[in-house]
Amino acid sequence: MSLLEVENVTKRFGSLLAVDSVSMSVDSGELRAVIGPNGAGKTTFFNLISGFVRPDAGRIVLDGHDVTGLSPARRVWRGLARTFQITEVFPRLTVGENLQIPVEVAAGFRLRIGLSGAERLKVRERADELLEWSGLARNVGRAVGELSHGDQRTVEIMMALALNPRLLLLDEPTAGMGERETYEIAQLIRRLHREKGLAIVLIEHDMRLVLRMADRVMVLDRGAVLANGAPAEIVANEMVQAAYLGKAIA
Amino acid sequence: MKPERSWKLAADALVWLLLLTMPFWIGAVGGYIQLGTLVVVMALAATALNFLIGFTGIMSFGHAAFFGLGGYGAGLTIKYLVPNTLLGMAVGVVTAIVAAAIIGKLIVHLRGIYFAMVTIAFGQIFYFIAFRWNNVTGGDDGLSNWHRMPIHLGFINIDILDSAVTFYYFVLFFFALSLAAMAWALRSPFGRTLLAIRENERRARYLGIPVDNHIWLSWLISCTFAGLAGTLYVLLNNFADPHQLHWEQSGEFVIMAVLGGMRSFWGPLVGATIFIVLQNYVSSMTENWMSFIGLFFVVIVLFFPDGVLGILRKA
Amino acid sequence: MTELILYNVFNGLIIGAFYALMALGLSLILNLSGVINFAHGGFLAFGAYFAYSLAPYFGFWGALAAAPVLTALLGFLVERLLIRRLYGRDPLYSLLLTFGLAFMLQDGARIVWGSETLPFSVPGSLNNALSAEYFFLTGYRVFMVALATATVAALFAVLRWTRIGMRIRAGVVDLETVSALGVNIGRLRSFNFALGIFLAGLAGVLAAGMLGLQPTIGNDLIMPSFVAIIIGGLGSLPGTLVGGLLIGVASGVTTVFFPSASEAVIYVLMALVLLVRPRGLFGEEGRQ
Repeated sequence: MSLLEVENVTKRFGSLLAVDSVSMSVDSGELRAVIGPNGAGKTTFFNLISGFVRPDAGRIVLDGHDVTGLSPARRVWRGLARTFQITEVFPRLTVGENLQIPVEVAAGFRLRIGLSGAERLKVRERADELLEWSGLARNVGRAVGELSHGDQRTVEIMMALALNPRLLLLDEPTAGMGERETYEIAQLIRRLHREKGLAIVLIEHDMRLVLRMADRVMVLDRGAVLANGAPAEIVANEMVQAAYLGKAIA
Repeated sequence: MKPERSWKLAADALVWLLLLTMPFWIGAVGGYIQLGTLVVVMALAATALNFLIGFTGIMSFGHAAFFGLGGYGAGLTIKYLVPNTLLGMAVGVVTAIVAAAIIGKLIVHLRGIYFAMVTIAFGQIFYFIAFRWNNVTGGDDGLSNWHRMPIHLGFINIDILDSAVTFYYFVLFFFALSLAAMAWALRSPFGRTLLAIRENERRARYLGIPVDNHIWLSWLISCTFAGLAGTLYVLLNNFADPHQLHWEQSGEFVIMAVLGGMRSFWGPLVGATIFIVLQNYVSSMTENWMSFIGLFFVVIVLFFPDGVLGILRKA
Repeated sequence: MTELILYNVFNGLIIGAFYALMALGLSLILNLSGVINFAHGGFLAFGAYFAYSLAPYFGFWGALAAAPVLTALLGFLVERLLIRRLYGRDPLYSLLLTFGLAFMLQDGARIVWGSETLPFSVPGSLNNALSAEYFFLTGYRVFMVALATATVAALFAVLRWTRIGMRIRAGVVDLETVSALGVNIGRLRSFNFALGIFLAGLAGVLAAGMLGLQPTIGNDLIMPSFVAIIIGGLGSLPGTLVGGLLIGVASGVTTVFFPSASEAVIYVLMALVLLVRPRGLFGEEGRQ
């Protein structure tokens, strides 16, 4: 059974049909890309999966549980984590603090007024592990807002990872980045995929990334699914090419 | 130890030293013990408020309600039920908690100015009750003809009634306890979730933090200590009056927090000291003190929004 | 009995008209600029006092016309010099600013005009009862309701059909886009603020005739204005209008049966609305 089953979700905003009966099925450990021209409904689709908005129709099943009616926080508890198009972190807090918070929440300490020595150690070790793995350790005491765009994004992704998710939603992680930073984030994502065994759904505009990393690609256009399949197929698909109005893919 | 940390410890030590020795130096600076006690009481209320606005990032402008509920709860208990100070305080605090729990549930899903407006309105409900319910609360004249009772704990007697000094230490004791509790909470994992909510609510939500729930808890803690401050306030004056419940009082708490610096734990104490002293001074000098207080608010907000400690931090 | 009820309902409508006038001004400012104007009551007082000072020279009608304009001017100055600086910041600061302003305005009125209640005379022609049967329909009261209604209608007309009205409405929904379209939002906000204060000033002149003139005249009206906005729904002017009238009438009717509860009923209604329909009667979904 797949990890994520999105069944015919639909979302309207007034008269705008943002997402039109879209279905998607993601397996454990898969890296799926969602692509499409601007305004295709990709972010709304993510918003539906992560609980930011409720669908007008359809179901979302995560790990066998129907999460359609659950709040975002509840979905996190069920194993979902996401990043946003515009990096959402705690800019005035340090890198260490940014990571400490999700680590503590994931450990079940969110309501705790005090921690035992052993518990504090556990949090420390987990945070250190994340810092080391991502290369953020050198920045641990700096305010996240002061870091480069790429580093901020890395912090955000690591915060999501700190939650021990089964499924990670990444909304245009390389948006607004130059060559170098795009490469670094791409590396990070690939490592996440390979080393952590997470299922990842990725909204991306950068085709090279999509081609190199994705197991499968889903194309959205004007809220509906245009095509679904392996990267090479999608690239060759004429409808997809047309939707992008001749944008260079290869 | 990092230099920053030793500065902090030194500052903490200095503050406590000043607080502990207040009765001995207050006269030398032209003040009197009850003024110092008042500052500590108001600082407690302002610190409680800052737990919510400074550390959780939720704008409440109705804390006078809980300050006043605590006060009236204590006063009414002592006057009509049992003339026992500690019992009166307990009733006052419990009243504040219960009211906060209920009101909190009603409003916790609101944000920003809407939330602020609703807290103001709820605050006024209690003002209005105290004002109208003449026979019980004394209405506009306030609740008088009662006083704080000396404490008999079996093995010791604490004369908080006749000795202003003893009463000051009594107040300081609760102040210390409350601040320790709040500081502890803020440094805990729970406290960090509040910071998270303040810094980026959406991100907090997507980290699995049930934001409304945590805000309600922060609200509860904040209102509880405001209620405690309220009980101490009426005990100080042996008097409770509706103005304690008015939004003007709420505004004063907010300005104390802002004036001292909302990001600092000692900020509200600093702010309360400056404000109370100033208010005391100005109102004795001129009958236009209200204009001055108003002007003061305007100046602080326009030119010193980070507050005294905020400015010091940057320096 | 019916006459008593009618009397109180009518009274309630008058009070409701006041609440609505005040609340609409507050709402205008709140919606576009996100500022809770605590000083609204102070501006109301100034409106009344301006009228008082102008009346000897321009008569009641002249003062009625001029005072709100003068008050709006004062409001415009306040917005330009003080409030404007706080727009980008946490709304807490503008709240505190208007709070301080409220103090200054109230005390300022006291300093200039004294703290005793001043007599505010209304033209005799308005004072007569219009009907022997319904004695409470004095000319002045009917006049107030009529003027308030006309003002509210004019306000909605301005918002609906004039260019600046449309800009205000658009700005409430999406200020950034309006700005991108080339509209000077600084000026828009100033105008909007002055408009809101105009309403407060007008309410002040009318109130003086009915309540008597003292520096605290605005204080009793500001809380019900808040409640009217909360009940009507944040962001909705029609909602504010309905909210104001509703609490006015509720208050008036309650006076018949439970006189001492007539002020409390406003808050009870508010709590009910928050419980049952948290965004207010006409509030928008997800508005936070």
